[in-house]
Amino acid sequence: MLKYVLRRLIQVVPTVFGVTLITFVLVHLAPGDPVEVLASGNGDAAYYQFMRAKYRLDDSLLTQLWTYSTNVLRGDFGTSYLTGESVVRMIMPRIGSTLLLAISSIVISTLVGLKFGILAAWRANRFLDRAVLRTSVLVAAAPSFWIAQVMLLLFALRLGIFPTDGRNSPGFEGTGLAMAIDTLWHLVLPMSVLAIQESSTIARLTRTGIVDQLDDDHIRLARAKGLGDLHVVLRHALRRSLTSVVTVIGSRIGHVFSGAVVVELIFGWPGLGQLILSSSQSRDTPVLLGVLVLIAAAVVLMNLLTDLSYMIIDPRVRLR
Amino acid sequence: MRKISAVFLGSVLSLVALQMMESQTTAAITPESPCLMEGARGDGPKGQKVVCAEIQGKKIWVPRGGDLVVAISQDPGSLNPAATTAGAVHTASELMFNGLVELDDKLNPVPELAESWTVNKKATIYTFKLRREVKWHDGQPFTSADVKFTFDEVLLKYHSRTRASMLSALATIYTPNSHTVEFIFKESYGPLLLQLDVTEAPILPAHIYRGSDPTKNPTNLAPVGTGPFKFGSYARGSEIVLNRNSNYFRKGKPYLDRVIMRVIPNSATQVASFESGSVDFLWGVPGPDRARLLAQKKAFDTLITRRNPGGANCMMTVSFNLRRPITSNLAVRQAIFHSLNRNAFLQNVIFGEGSVAVSPFSKGIVWAWGRNLKLPEYNTTKANALLDSAGWTGRDGSIRTAQQVVGVANGSKLSIDFLHFPTFATYGELYKAQLKEVGIDVRLRPLESGPFATAVFNNRDFDSNIISYCNGNDPEIGIRRMYDSAQIGPVAFSNAAAYTNVLVDSTFQQARNTLDISKRQSLYQEIQEQLVKDVPYGWLVETKSTRIFTSRCGGFRPYSLFAEEAYCIN
Repeated sequence: MLKYVLRRLIQVVPTVFGVTLITFVLVHLAPGDPVEVLASGNGDAAYYQFMRAKYRLDDSLLTQLWTYSTNVLRGDFGTSYLTGESVVRMIMPRIGSTLLLAISSIVISTLVGLKFGILAAWRANRFLDRAVLRTSVLVAAAPSFWIAQVMLLLFALRLGIFPTDGRNSPGFEGTGLAMAIDTLWHLVLPMSVLAIQESSTIARLTRTGIVDQLDDDHIRLARAKGLGDLHVVLRHALRRSLTSVVTVIGSRIGHVFSGAVVVELIFGWPGLGQLILSSSQSRDTPVLLGVLVLIAAAVVLMNLLTDLSYMIIDPRVRLR
Repeated sequence: MRKISAVFLGSVLSLVALQMMESQTTAAITPESPCLMEGARGDGPKGQKVVCAEIQGKKIWVPRGGDLVVAISQDPGSLNPAATTAGAVHTASELMFNGLVELDDKLNPVPELAESWTVNKKATIYTFKLRREVKWHDGQPFTSADVKFTFDEVLLKYHSRTRASMLSALATIYTPNSHTVEFIFKESYGPLLLQLDVTEAPILPAHIYRGSDPTKNPTNLAPVGTGPFKFGSYARGSEIVLNRNSNYFRKGKPYLDRVIMRVIPNSATQVASFESGSVDFLWGVPGPDRARLLAQKKAFDTLITRRNPGGANCMMTVSFNLRRPITSNLAVRQAIFHSLNRNAFLQNVIFGEGSVAVSPFSKGIVWAWGRNLKLPEYNTTKANALLDSAGWTGRDGSIRTAQQVVGVANGSKLSIDFLHFPTFATYGELYKAQLKEVGIDVRLRPLESGPFATAVFNNRDFDSNIISYCNGNDPEIGIRRMYDSAQIGPVAFSNAAAYTNVLVDSTFQQARNTLDISKRQSLYQEIQEQLVKDVPYGWLVETKSTRIFTSRCGGFRPYSLFAEEAYCIN
């Protein structure tokens, strides 16, 4: 078991490094020039030359790649062209915001998804089941930016229950509990947008996983013993279908990060998604690469955690 | 008896006068009502302190204190306005800094950090006397060393506009004593006073930046300036809080306690936040939303301006590639211009937020724009005749074909491309539709700004395109680059048309070397008359921005240091 974890952890390094290489090449092949963004429509030839030399943009792609990767291996992700600040220091304060959004939406969507999935399976092919299925298909088909806009207009602007933007109220100076409450109040809408879509997927998967087993022998046996419907579903069918649900939750972490770009943009949530967007618009390559590498690492680690969790859910699984 | 009544009358009058003064200083005062004595204080209706202040020439009671929440669309990342021209940085940071001079609403230089200045006859030496009472936010005195350092080490290296226009012309900056600065030029240099405001040349503290890379100094994230507001805090991606500078050299100002710059990237969310009341001030609003907001007149006020922190006096301009066979023909360019209904661009594309261009230079540069010029008017009959005469023939409604056109095979179609940023797509659609009326086929090529710049300025791979050229405060700074034959080349947003005219080149140089505004004006008039004859560009519409703010607040300036005199009623 320990050996397995160690082996997988060692594999993480080349995987993330490979992702870094590919991302580096892709980002550099994309058209656009950071100096042009810095000049913002002004500047003469001498300015361009000066800035290109300052950031070594005229070095060959191979040289730049070598410099970048050796620096990354030493833990140096470079400095932003735009702000002159170290990439690590730019990313750090935003990780918390994105994690808060991602984790809360995954937790809520798992709870909600499981609940509706179980309810639907319990009432399979009856009204409740059909209602859950149809709603979840509808929600999954709706683009997240649309859901976000509608929720913003309805709950923030029309009803005024939640704030329209940001992680805290403008100029908020409270600390401790007041701060936590203010953050939570701002979290509700963006978190819900992400959670709605995730929970619809989880609900459908849970429902199908359970219904598939309702004709299995062990369920018939349980039923024959006179156990109630709900008890059968919860105790006997759910557990076996959980592996596939956990796989989905694990693999959704990447979706949550990418979905967060749109949600963070619309709700002005100060996380990594906003940084991805602004750094790619301004061709701030070191920052963009830094965030993408971080997300790649998160996805790879999450996959490992998912694999490990199978052992707990299903004792038949043995990892070697 | 008479004496007694005189005394009585006198005392009654003085009592009344006293009463009046009392009412101005102690009883509740309505904010924004006229007042007499500058600096006098009283209480507003909700107990908010009010002071008597002169705002844009009017003396009114102005509430003191309170917060102003301003939406900004981009997290600036750096708050050092001297090291960049990026609009996001300037929007968020200018209130913490000052320039040597300020430009009033007619672009006249007025004292800011410099209290006075003299220029020698040849316009080669500018001498500035600096204010002695100015202190940096950390308490250090402001001196001429700060000015010299900021120019030598920051502005002339990293501020792309100031560098491009001044670096080659400037011989040296000399500081005879701590409160005098001399700018010494190699030859006569006219435009200097227009490029010393907080946007073009904000002054940084030398004692903090000396010996560091100014683009990487940690102070860029917690700046020390001289401006009306001091740095408070900066939460990445969320907001920047600026606090009132109580030691500001303009005594009594500013009136707000805090300005909170809130990062809201999505413009629809900005509008929602504004309507919900959590944001007080928007820099601009998309056309359809603007119409809807303006319909609710009571709650909002607006301010329309040509000046933005990222660039002033911007004009949407069509460039024709003078090195392509079709567009190198003057008659074709004139015909395209005649077929453009520019009023339709104004109404349908920018929803009236601007004006149809009347001269090659923006009307915002009030002294320099060309008077009495006749830009080709919307007239498809003339356009058709010009195209016929150029050898492009065709029946009504069909695309024209070439008959003996130089550089074009006979029978080939009159088809040109049009490069535009995706955000300018509606300009492209209208351009295409209007040119089709006279038998010109347009292929739209939307490109993001990076690839756009490469295609237009490096590869010259285009027939026509559209660019928002910001003309700036002086033709030397923002306009010359469009027409100077020395500026055809790989630099983005230089001479896109590849226009070459020796006379225009030398007249621009002459205007730069002239100090006298009326002489410069006549030189620029000559240039514009020539440009209208040559039509290297199609000057479409001048764009303006509409600031929208809650009617609780007021006193905003349409230009630099926009909130220096702003106030909000609690």
